Amino acid sequence: MSDIDRKTKRSGGVWKVFLRDWIILILLLVLVLLCSVFLEKFRTTNNIMNILRQASFTAIIAMGEFFAILTGQMDMSVSSVIGMVSIFFAGFVVKLGLPVWVAIVLVLAMAVVIGLINGLLVVYGKMPSFIATLVVMNVVRGVNYLYSRGLPISGLPEGFNFLGSGYVGIVPFPVILMFFVALVLYVVTAHTSPGRSFYAVGGNLEASKLSGINVNYIGVLAFVFSAVLTGVGALGLTAKTLAGNVTLGDDLLFDVMTIVVLGGTSLMGGRGRIFGVVIGALFLQVIGNAMVLLSINTYWQWVVKGAILIIVVLIDSNTKRDVITAKGKTPHKHPEEG
Amino acid sequence: MTSGTRVDGGVRGENAPLIQLKNCRMEFPGVVALDDVSFTLLPGECHGLVGENGAGKSTLSKCIIGENHMTEGELYVEGKKIRIHSYSVKDSQRLGIQAVHQEFQLMNDMTGLENIFIGHYQTRYGMINWRALGRKAAELMDFLQCEVNLNVPVKYLRTAEKQIVQLAKAVLSESKVLILDELTAVLQEKDILNIYRIIGILKKRGMGVIYISHRLNEIFECCDSYTVLCDGRQMNSGRVTDIDKPKLIKMIIGRELTQAFPPINEVFGDTMLEVRGLSAQKAFRDISFSVRSGEVIGLAGLLGAGKTELVHAIFGNHRTVAGTIHIKGKETRIKNPQQAKKLGIGLIPDERRTLGLNMLFDIKDNTVLPSMEKFRKFKFFQDHAAEAKAAFEINERLELSYYSLWQNVKNLSGGNQQKIIIAKWMLRNSEIILLDEHTRGIDVGAKFEIYKLINEFTKQGKCVVLVSPELEELMGLCNRIYIMFEGSIMDVVEGERRTQEVIIHSLLGVS
Repeated sequence: MSDIDRKTKRSGGVWKVFLRDWIILILLLVLVLLCSVFLEKFRTTNNIMNILRQASFTAIIAMGEFFAILTGQMDMSVSSVIGMVSIFFAGFVVKLGLPVWVAIVLVLAMAVVIGLINGLLVVYGKMPSFIATLVVMNVVRGVNYLYSRGLPISGLPEGFNFLGSGYVGIVPFPVILMFFVALVLYVVTAHTSPGRSFYAVGGNLEASKLSGINVNYIGVLAFVFSAVLTGVGALGLTAKTLAGNVTLGDDLLFDVMTIVVLGGTSLMGGRGRIFGVVIGALFLQVIGNAMVLLSINTYWQWVVKGAILIIVVLIDSNTKRDVITAKGKTPHKHPEEG
Repeated sequence: MTSGTRVDGGVRGENAPLIQLKNCRMEFPGVVALDDVSFTLLPGECHGLVGENGAGKSTLSKCIIGENHMTEGELYVEGKKIRIHSYSVKDSQRLGIQAVHQEFQLMNDMTGLENIFIGHYQTRYGMINWRALGRKAAELMDFLQCEVNLNVPVKYLRTAEKQIVQLAKAVLSESKVLILDELTAVLQEKDILNIYRIIGILKKRGMGVIYISHRLNEIFECCDSYTVLCDGRQMNSGRVTDIDKPKLIKMIIGRELTQAFPPINEVFGDTMLEVRGLSAQKAFRDISFSVRSGEVIGLAGLLGAGKTELVHAIFGNHRTVAGTIHIKGKETRIKNPQQAKKLGIGLIPDERRTLGLNMLFDIKDNTVLPSMEKFRKFKFFQDHAAEAKAAFEINERLELSYYSLWQNVKNLSGGNQQKIIIAKWMLRNSEIILLDEHTRGIDVGAKFEIYKLINEFTKQGKCVVLVSPELEELMGLCNRIYIMFEGSIMDVVEGERRTQEVIIHSLLGVS
C-alpha cells in the first residue's frame, strides 16, 4: 500500500472507534434479544412497531437537544417549547380557523424565535446556558398558561392525526419521519461545514474562533435547531391526541437529556452522533416497554431511568477525552508540556 | 523528618548551605534539560539564576522543589541528603522551600488575610479566630514594612500588592528558601525596589532566596551570587561583585549565533500590512509598523509588553480603540477572525493546545478547519476525499510525522502539532502570517524545520510577523525587530544595530 493510501484511508483502529461510538447499539441489540427471548408479548410485530412509534417524537426532540449539548451547552427550555407549540398550534387552528399548514409554519416560526432568544442570551449575553434557558422555560410556560388558562384545546381536524398515528404499509408514519429527520441531520452534521463547525465549537471554542469559524453564528444556530426540532416533535405529540395541551412536555426534559447522553454525546461538548440519539431513544423505550410487559409499577421507570442517566454520565465524566493512538506509535510527551 | 530524607554527608552546622545540588542531570525523553549543574545556596544569600528561555532555569528550580525528578545527582537540604526519587513538592514544602511565581496563586475573591492564612487557620472553639489572625498579619506586614489592605478581596489589589500578599504567605509558612520565579516581570520600577527591600529583610533573617529573572539589572541590584545556565549547562557561577553586565551578557549568550538559521530573504515587494497608531485599552498604544511582501518582522518584549494582544488585534480578536490597519494599501476594519481569514491573514497562536488545535479532532479535520468552504460539492456538501487529499499533500510538504490523517492530534509531539497549525494557514494560502511564540516548548530539530518554512514563506512573497521571547530567533529570522515595552514600541532595530546587547537594553526599557 502506498503512502498516500495508508495515510488517507481509514484503516487501523476502525473497530476500536466503532466500539467506542456504538457501544450503545450493541447494548440495545442485547437488550432486544433478551426481551425477545424472555417476553412473549415483546416479540410481536405490533409491539415492536409500537415501541418505534412511541420513541419517534421523543427522538426528534432529543435530536434538537443534541445540537445544544454538542456545542457544550444545554437547553432546558424544551418542555415549555413543547407546550407552546402544542397549545398555540391548536389555538391557531381551532380558535382562529387557520389552515393547518399555516399554523404549522407559524408555530415553528415561534420556536425559531425562542431558539434565537436562547442563543442570543447565551452567546452574546454570555449567560450560562443552564440559567438562560431555565428562565426562558419559565417565561414561555407563563405565556402558555396566559394564552390557554391551562385548559387543553381540542377539536383538531381528523386528518392531522396521520402525523401522529398514521401508517405507511405496516410502518407507522412517525417512524419514517424520525428516520428521515435523522438522515437529513446526519448529512448536515457529517457533510456540511456548519455541521462540522458544531463539533469544532464544542471541542474547542477558542481554537475554532481563531480558525475563522463564525462561532457566534454556530452557537446561536445550535439553539435554533434545538427549538425547531422540539417544535416538530411537539406537533407529532399533539397530533396523537388531536388536542393542544400546555402540559404535554412537562416530563420530557429528563428523558430527552437521558437519550442524548445515552446516545454517546459528551456533556462536555464536541463529541456525538445523530444516530446515537435515535438508538438512545429506542433503548429507553425498550426498557420502558419491557417494564410495562413485566407489569412493574410505572413509577419504577423514573427510578430506573435516573439510574441509567447516572451510570452513563459517570462513564462520560470519567473517560479520558483522548482517543486511540495509531498503532505502533507511543504517545510522545514533550518535557515542557508534561 | 520526612520519609524522603536521611542524615548523612553534606556540610552541617551554623553556616551550612541551605541547598546544595551536586552534578544534577535532568533528562526528558529525547532532551537533556540539565547537564552536570551544581548549585549552592547559603543562608542569607540571594542567588540569581540567569539564562535564556529554555536554558533550564525553571527546570532547575522545579528539581529543587521536587516537581521534576532529576535523573542523576545529589540534593542536600540543610545538609540532609534527599532521596531524589521519592522527593515531592509536599516534601519540599515541609522542608521550608517555597516558590512564588509571577502567575498568581491567590484566590481572587478572598481577602488578603484569608489568602495568607489559608490552610493555616487558627481556631478557637472550632471557629476561625479572625482577631488573632488579623494581629498576626499586622505583625507580618510590620516585619515586611509594607502596607497592604488585607481586608478587601485580592482582585481589587494592584499587581504589586498581590505580589506582596504572595510573599507574605510564603514567609508565614516559616520557609527557609524562597524561589522567586520572574516575580518582577510584570512590575514597575518603584514596586521592584520594594521587592528588593523585602528580599533584604528576608536575607537578614537568614533565609536564602533563589532569584530568577530576565532583567539583568536586577541581578546586580539585589543578588549576592549568580549562576548562568545555557542550554542546560552551567556556564559560570560566582559572586556578583566579581563581574559586570557586559560579561554577564556574554555568558548568557554563551556562543556566537549558530548557523542554525536559513539566510534572511532580502527581496521585498509591496507593503502587505501596515498598522498606523493602533491602540487597545490597557494592552498597547500608538503602535505603527509595516511589513512588505517577502519580509519578516519581529516583535520583541517582556511578558506584559502587549505583543500577543497586538497580533490578536490584527487578527480581529482583540478590540482596538484607535488606529487603522491597512492590507495591501487599503484601509480595512477587521472586526473578527472570519474577516481576517478572508483578507489572507493567518494566526498561529501561542497556546497550541488551547488556542491552536481541537484536541477531539483528527489531523485532517484540524488541518482543513479554516478552509472548509474550499472543499464543497454542489456548494453545500463537504468533499471528504478532496479534504483528505489536500491535507495529505500539505502535511507531507511539512514533513509531518504521522501514521494516518485520522489519527487524533492529541498524541502528537509539540513540534508536529505546531506544524498542523501552520498547515491550516498554508492550506488557505494565507499571505500574512502572524506567529505568536511559535517555538514554545518544541525541540531544536522541529524549530529548525519551522525556520525553514518561514524562509520559504518569504520566498513566496508572503510576509511574516513574528513574536518570540528568544532574541536569537528574532535576530536569526527577522529583517527588522520592533521592541515593545509596556505597550509601546520603544525601538526599531535593523541592519547593523541588530545585536543582542542593543535589544536587551531596549527590552528592559533603558535606552
